[in-house]
Amino acid sequence: MDLTIERVEELLRFVDDGAPSRLDLSAVRFADPYGLLLLDLLIHHRADSGAPLRVAWPTHPAVAGWMRAMGLHADLKGTGTTRPPRVEAALQPIARIEEESEVVDLVNAFDARLAARYPLDDSPRMTLVRIMIELFQNIPQHSNATGTAPNPHGVAAMQDYGDGIFLAIADKGVGLRASLSVRDDEPIDTDAAALDAVVLRGLSRFKDPGRGQELTRIYKMVRSWDSTIAVRTGDALLTHDPVRGGEIRDVAFFPGVQIALVIPRQVFGIPEVDADRDPVFNELDE
Amino acid sequence: MSQFGRRIGTRSEGEAAREVVLAALGNLPPDGQLRISLNGLEVLSGSFADESIGKSYQALVSGLHEGRTMVVETPSLELTEGLADKLTQRRLAMLCLHDGQWVVLGQLAEPHQETLQLIVDRGSTTAKALADTLAIPANACHQRLKRLVELRLVLQERTGGTAPKTQYLFHSIL
Repeated sequence: MDLTIERVEELLRFVDDGAPSRLDLSAVRFADPYGLLLLDLLIHHRADSGAPLRVAWPTHPAVAGWMRAMGLHADLKGTGTTRPPRVEAALQPIARIEEESEVVDLVNAFDARLAARYPLDDSPRMTLVRIMIELFQNIPQHSNATGTAPNPHGVAAMQDYGDGIFLAIADKGVGLRASLSVRDDEPIDTDAAALDAVVLRGLSRFKDPGRGQELTRIYKMVRSWDSTIAVRTGDALLTHDPVRGGEIRDVAFFPGVQIALVIPRQVFGIPEVDADRDPVFNELDE
Repeated sequence: MSQFGRRIGTRSEGEAAREVVLAALGNLPPDGQLRISLNGLEVLSGSFADESIGKSYQALVSGLHEGRTMVVETPSLELTEGLADKLTQRRLAMLCLHDGQWVVLGQLAEPHQETLQLIVDRGSTTAKALADTLAIPANACHQRLKRLVELRLVLQERTGGTAPKTQYLFHSIL
């Protein structure tokens, strides 16, 4: 089992279908930041709902070590971590996004972590900073738009791979459909329709014409970079990658909005490396 | 803008910056121009740009401080991308100075750009002179000028006559 954009859906469906009290992750052989954040939010969600999950953690040392280095256990305990990861392979551990006033400092920390590892071309680097500012601030701005989310809880993390930089941002707030429901002129009946409205058409919950369209612009930008993007809300998932193109499909329900961007290294002027020369892949492919 | 940081910013931060921009506009003389410099910035997010500059410009175009104008100065056009997008969403257009040249940020139709170019080149001119140069009917020229004046991209000065034959001179704001 893997915890990746594609495969984490199996886990969410399993939990959604059977409401199990135990989650066996012992066979997990790989996890990406998106899968990691969804797992983090799932465990928090179940605890917040009064039905905590008991987890059997991955036994593979590289996966277990990476999860720990990425701050999963610290976040689950609520202690968080601002320390650099002890495992060299982990790039940017899970960071909580709570206050809008902290967003720019948080984005600068993500950027600094990436820039410390690689020399980056200025233009795409600053574009990524702009993208992160918009995506990170969406959490305090929108994740509890209706005021009904008990704990909207936003997190972000980043990891480098042989072929790209992987950024994930996630919350378990009210989701896009509920956020749009504050408008009375655009009835949106499904999560898939909400994804279409927000990501593809640029609709915002605000009628102010200057609001909205940021996700649409980011979607277009990362597509122009031949990147992979996934945006998940409720029971719908929009994915786009350079090979398979784009689609919106039904998935198991999970609250909030979760986003993954996988940007090719060459966008930043970083040479690609073969998977077997990448320290992360070396460890995980043993 | 660099007083707010090198990498700016969120909507709330832009909202606070708007107070500064509006105060600066309010302190100008009646025909004053506010030049917003992006020097020293590395990043200007669309959200911050919209709250601080876009909404201030919207207020100006809606009638605030008649006679005053706003222009952006930038060391790189890449920095203005978020602002340009937001101005387009608001159906506004602003003049931006870059590397000794001017460009329009936001949404301005090609015929209006053509007319604006002539006014900037001439400094001041009349509707009749513009219509003659552009070889377009007077009514069409008046429509273009009306939009440019609405957007505070040019200033009009009444020079004589009475309605409906009022005469105006149109001035470049650069």
